[in-house]
Amino acid sequence: MTSMVVNGKRGGQSLVLKGVDPETCMIVFKNHWAQVVKILEKHDPLRSNVGGLGGGHGLGGGGGLASFRFGAIPGDEASAVQNYVEHMLFLLMEEECGQNGAMGPILEFVVMENVLERLFIWSLRREFTDDMKLEQLKMYEMLIGQAKQPLLHHKPVLKPLMMLLSSCSGSPSGPSSSAVETELVLLLNQLCCVLAKDPSVLELFFHTSEDQGAANFLIFSLLIPFIHREGSVGQQARDALLLIMALSAENQVVAKHIAENTYFCPVLATGLSGLYSSLPTKLDVPSEEWHCLHREDWQQLPALVQFLNSLEFCNAVIQVAHPSIRDQLVGYIHNGFLVPVLAPALHKLTLEEVMTTTAYLDLFIRSVSEPALLHTLLSFILLHRHDNVHILDTLVSRINTPFQLGTVSLALFRTLIGLHCEDVMLQLVFKYLIPCNHMMLSQRRVLRERDCYSVSAAKLLALTPSCCSPEVIPPPLRQLDSILWSKGTDGSHIGTMESKEVLSEEDDCGNSCVIGSEIYLDVSYLDYLCDAQNSISHCIRACCVWSAPYDGENPPPEEYQRSTLEEADLTATPGLLELEWDDSYDACPTQPHPEEDQETRPIPDEPPKHIQELRRTAVMIVKGSYIEESEFQNDVMVYDLVAQKDAHDSGNGYHAPSKPTEPAKQEVLDGPVTDQKTANSESLMSNGLSSPLDEMDSKKRGSQSEHKSLEGEDLMAQYEELIRTLGAQHSSPAKADGELKSPTVLMDDEEDEIDFNSFSPETPETEKLPSPFGTKPRSGSRGHAVPFTGPFLSVLLSRLENMPSNSLHVNLLLTGILAQLAAYPQPLLRSFLLNTNMVFQPSVRSLYQVLASVKNQIEQWSANNKDFPELLTAAQHSLLARESSLRDSQNGDWFHGSEADRIKKNPTIQPKTVVPLNETEVYATVLFTEFLKELAAFAQEHSILSYPPTEQ
Amino acid sequence: MLRIRWSLICPAHPPFGKKQLPSIPKNAVPITKAASPASSTESANGTHASYGPFYLEYSLLAEFTLVIKQRLPGIYVQPSYRSTLMWFGVIFIRHGLYQDGVFKFTVYIPDNFPDGDCPRVIFDTPVFHPLVDSVSGELDVRRAFTKWRRNHNHIWQVLMYARTIFYKINTMDPLNPEAVVLYDKDFQLFKSKVVDSVKLCNSHLFDQPKIDDPFAISFSPWNPAVHEEAKDKMFAYKRLHKDYNKGPLVSGLSWVKPGSTQPFSKEDIPLQT
Repeated sequence: MTSMVVNGKRGGQSLVLKGVDPETCMIVFKNHWAQVVKILEKHDPLRSNVGGLGGGHGLGGGGGLASFRFGAIPGDEASAVQNYVEHMLFLLMEEECGQNGAMGPILEFVVMENVLERLFIWSLRREFTDDMKLEQLKMYEMLIGQAKQPLLHHKPVLKPLMMLLSSCSGSPSGPSSSAVETELVLLLNQLCCVLAKDPSVLELFFHTSEDQGAANFLIFSLLIPFIHREGSVGQQARDALLLIMALSAENQVVAKHIAENTYFCPVLATGLSGLYSSLPTKLDVPSEEWHCLHREDWQQLPALVQFLNSLEFCNAVIQVAHPSIRDQLVGYIHNGFLVPVLAPALHKLTLEEVMTTTAYLDLFIRSVSEPALLHTLLSFILLHRHDNVHILDTLVSRINTPFQLGTVSLALFRTLIGLHCEDVMLQLVFKYLIPCNHMMLSQRRVLRERDCYSVSAAKLLALTPSCCSPEVIPPPLRQLDSILWSKGTDGSHIGTMESKEVLSEEDDCGNSCVIGSEIYLDVSYLDYLCDAQNSISHCIRACCVWSAPYDGENPPPEEYQRSTLEEADLTATPGLLELEWDDSYDACPTQPHPEEDQETRPIPDEPPKHIQELRRTAVMIVKGSYIEESEFQNDVMVYDLVAQKDAHDSGNGYHAPSKPTEPAKQEVLDGPVTDQKTANSESLMSNGLSSPLDEMDSKKRGSQSEHKSLEGEDLMAQYEELIRTLGAQHSSPAKADGELKSPTVLMDDEEDEIDFNSFSPETPETEKLPSPFGTKPRSGSRGHAVPFTGPFLSVLLSRLENMPSNSLHVNLLLTGILAQLAAYPQPLLRSFLLNTNMVFQPSVRSLYQVLASVKNQIEQWSANNKDFPELLTAAQHSLLARESSLRDSQNGDWFHGSEADRIKKNPTIQPKTVVPLNETEVYATVLFTEFLKELAAFAQEHSILSYPPTEQ
Repeated sequence: MLRIRWSLICPAHPPFGKKQLPSIPKNAVPITKAASPASSTESANGTHASYGPFYLEYSLLAEFTLVIKQRLPGIYVQPSYRSTLMWFGVIFIRHGLYQDGVFKFTVYIPDNFPDGDCPRVIFDTPVFHPLVDSVSGELDVRRAFTKWRRNHNHIWQVLMYARTIFYKINTMDPLNPEAVVLYDKDFQLFKSKVVDSVKLCNSHLFDQPKIDDPFAISFSPWNPAVHEEAKDKMFAYKRLHKDYNKGPLVSGLSWVKPGSTQPFSKEDIPLQT
C-alpha cells in the first residue's frame, strides 16, 4: 500500500505498483469497495431515507427529476466514490490472469459483487448528465484498453457496458453532445478491435443485447449513424465498422444480421446520394486545359472529400464484407445512388453541369478499386438507360462536343479504357469489330498475322512530315545519336578492343548501341519502344482474364453478326447506318413521326426523339470522319450560329463563307434554314442535355417545340456569346480569308469553352485535295450491315483528323487514348489500328488513312508558312521543358495548372521563345511526329511480344 | 535497350542448364564523334535511314520468337551479344546414324534480311556428312532455300533443316563427295566415319567457343558448385513464371461469359436487387 503512488489525475492515471503482492491489492480493493458501498447504500431509495442530508450540497446545475425522486447526492460523497472507483479500476486493470487463465481474485470479486453494474446504476441515480456518461465511457475505455485479462467474457462486466451504450445511443433526451459522441465512438472502436482479435466475444455481444431487449448487436447499430460523419469521429466509426465487416466475412450470423436486421447498406448507399447532392453542381474550371479532377482539385472541395471518404468506405466494405452484405450494398448503390441521382445528373440542363457530373463520374471510377463496385459503376454506364438511351452512348456522343465537355468526356474514356475491362472494350470497340464487316473478306485470315518485318512501323514513320524529318531538323535536346551498328559477321578481333572503349565512354549517354558501320539513329525512339513494351506486356497480362481472344475466330464473326445487329437495333447504330447509306436516305427525313413511333412500339424500342437525335449525332460523327465532309458537323454549327445571329441581329449581314459542299449539308439537314436552329439545338440535346420537362413528362412529347425553345435557352446564351465574338471578327467578310486562325484565337481568350477549330477556311481546300490514301467513300447500295467500326472509334478518328486545329491538350488526350488502345493485344483491334497493310471496306476509315490526312494538312500548312521551322523548334523546346517539369513534379498525369507557370519554374531548360498555345498547328506537328513514333513502336513490339515466351 | 530484350527472351528457353550466362554487359556503346550525320546516311529516305536498323533488329527478334514458338526438338540457339545477325546454336542428335552427336554451329544472317540470301549455317567442327563442307563446316542450306522469300521462309525452317539432314541422308549434289561415295559404296565405312566424326565433335565440346562473344555457347564438365544451382533454377523457372503471371499485376476485369458477347453476362455477378 505504501508504495502505491498517485501520479496524476484520472484518465492519465499512472500509478506504480511495485512489489505489491496480489493479496494486498485484493485487500485494498475490498476496502475501497466497502467504502463505496456505504455511500451507495445510503442513497439507495429502497434502503435509506429519501433526501439524505438535505439539499445544501447539491451538484451545481442539478435539480432535475432524478434529484427530486432520489434526493440530491452531496458533492463530497460523489467525488469520494469517484476516487475510490479510480483506485479500484487501477487495481483491476493491473491484475494478471490467474492460473490456467482463470479470473484473478479482484476480477472474480468484481463479477461476484456485480461491481460495475452497481456503479452504473449509481451514476444513473445521480443525474445522468453528459459528464456522467463521459465518466462511465472513459472508465470502460480504460478498462478494455488496458486490462491485462479479458473482461468482456463476463456478463457482469458486459451487461452494464451494454446498458451504458444503449443509454448513450438514441437517448430520448435528445442527441448527445459531441464530446459524448467522440468518446462513444472511441469506445465502440475499441470494442470492435477486441472483437476482431477475439471473435469468441461476439457471441456474448449478441446474447447480452437480447437480455437488454435492445436491437441485436448494439455496438454495430450504434456506429451506423456515424458512417458519413466527417473528421476523425467519422473515420474512427468507419474503421470500427470495417472491423465488423471483416468479421462478417467469416461469421454467417453477423453477416445475416447486418444484411437483414440493420439499415447499414441503405444508410451507406443513400448517404452517398445525400453527400452527392451537396457537391457543387458547377466547378470552377481553372483553365481551358483542365479536363479531370486531380487530387489537388478535389482536396480543395470539402464536400467532395467527404463524398470520396464515403465512397472509399463503400469500396473497403465491399472488399472485406461477407458476399451477402457486399451484394446488398452494391445493389443499393446502384438503385439508390447511380440510377436515381447520378443518371439524372448526367443529363442536366447546362453544359457546365453535365461536364461537372462527367468529371465526378470519372473521379469516382478512378477512386474505386473493388471489382464488385466497379462492376456496379460500369454496368450502370454500359447497361443503364436514361430516357431509353444507354449512358454509354450518351457519353460517346459527347466526345464530339466542341466545348470542354468533349475534353472531359475524353478523359473519362481514358479512365475507362485504362481499366482493361473486357465488358467496356466489348461495348466500345469489339462489338463492332467482331463481325469483321469492316475489312475485306480476304483479309480475315491475315488478321492474326504479325508484322514480322516491321512493315507497318515503316509505313507509319514514313508519314513523318517533311518538315520534321530527322535530316531536316533534328529534335532539340534529343539529338540524333550516332549509333554504330554491327554486322557482326567479321566480329571477333574488334570485339575486345571495343569493350574497352565502351567502359571509358558509356556514361555520356545510355541510349546508343553496338558497333560496326556507323548509322545515325533517332535514339528517342528507343524510349518509345521501351514504353510500348511495358504497356503491351501489362495489357497482355491484364487481359488474361478475358473470355475470348478477339482474334477474328473467337468470338466467331458469323455468329455475332446476327446478334450485333439485333442488339444494335436498340442502340441506334443500324439506324444511323441506314440513314447514312441507304439510297432512300434523301427521301427519308431524319425525324419520321416520332409520336407515332412511340405509341405503337413496345417499350424496349427507343422513344424516337432521343434515338433520332442520337442517330443524327452519330451520322454527323460518321460523316465527320470523311475527308470531303469532315467539316460537316461544324458547318451545322456555323449555320446554326448564323441563323441565330440573324434572328437576333438582322442588321449584321454576315454569312458563313459559302462552301462547295452544300448538297451534303442539305442532305442531312433536310429542311429549310429556319428549321436548322431547332435541328441543331436538338442534336446538341442528344448529347444527353435533356430538359427538366423531359424528365417530368416523357409522354407529352407532342409539344416538342416548346421544349426545344426551353432547353435551347441556356445553350442559346452561350451561342450568342459566340456569335458576338464571331461577328466582331468577321464583320468584314473579305478579310476572313486572310485570318485563318484568329477567330479561334479570339474565342480561346474570351470564351474558353468553345473550341471551334474548324472555322479556319483553309480546310475546304484540303477537302479538294486528292487524297492518295483515302479512297473516296462511295455510299453503296447496301441498306444494312454497312461496315462501321462503331461510334467510339469513329469519333476518335474524326477528332484526330482535326489534329492541326485541335488545342494541344485535346491532342494529348486523343493520342494518349489511341496509344492506350494500341497496346491491346487482341488481333481485331491491333490489326485495325496498326496493320497498315490491311484492306478495309471503302467506307471504313483506318487510323492510317486519318494519319495520312493529317500529314497532308501539315505539309500544306508548313509550305504556306515560312517561319514554320523556327516555330517548330521553339515548340519542341517548350514541349520538352514541359515534359521534364512534369516529370520533376512526380506527377503521372499530364498537364494541369498553367503551362507557362511550369516552364517558369524550371530555369534549367527554359525555352528561348515560347510559341503561343494557340499556334495549334505547330504543336500538333510536333505531337504528330512523336505520335507516329509511338505507334510505330507499338507495331514493332506487337510483332514480337504477342507470343508469350512460355506459351503452351 | 534492344539488347536487354534478348536477355528477356532467352531465359524462357535457357539453352543449357550447365552454362552460366555472363552477366549482361552494358549495352550502350556511345560514340561521341562529331561526324556529320549526312555522311553516314545512305538512303535518301530520311525515316528509313534513321529507323532502318530498328526494323532489322525487330525482324530478327520476330524470327527468334518464331524459333521459340516452334520448340524444335534438340535445337538451341542464341543470338550473339554483338550482333543480332549472328546466332550461336547447338544440335543434339538423339537417334539414327548420328546418335549422341552434339554439333555446335553458327548462323549468319545477311544484313539485308529478309530480302537477301538465305542465312548460312556453319558447324564449328566440320561434321562428316554429304551436305557439310569437310573444310569450312558449312551446311548446304541453299539447296533447301534456293531463293529466300520473305514471309514464306523463316530461320526456324533453316534450323529444322539443319536437324533433318542428320536423320534423313540426301546424297544429291553433295558438298562432301567423299561421304557420298562411301555412303553408296561402303556403308559400313561411312558409318564408322560418322561415328568417328561424332566422337571428334564431342571431344571438342569443352573447347572455348570459336567466336569470342559473351553470349557464345560454351560447355564445361559438370561442376556441382557452378551448375547445380543453375539447374535448380531452370527447373523452378516454369513455376515461378506462372506465379508471376498470376501475380497482383494482373489487373484486367471481365464479366463476359465465355461464348457470349454480351457485357455482364457472367452469372456469378453480384445481384442487383
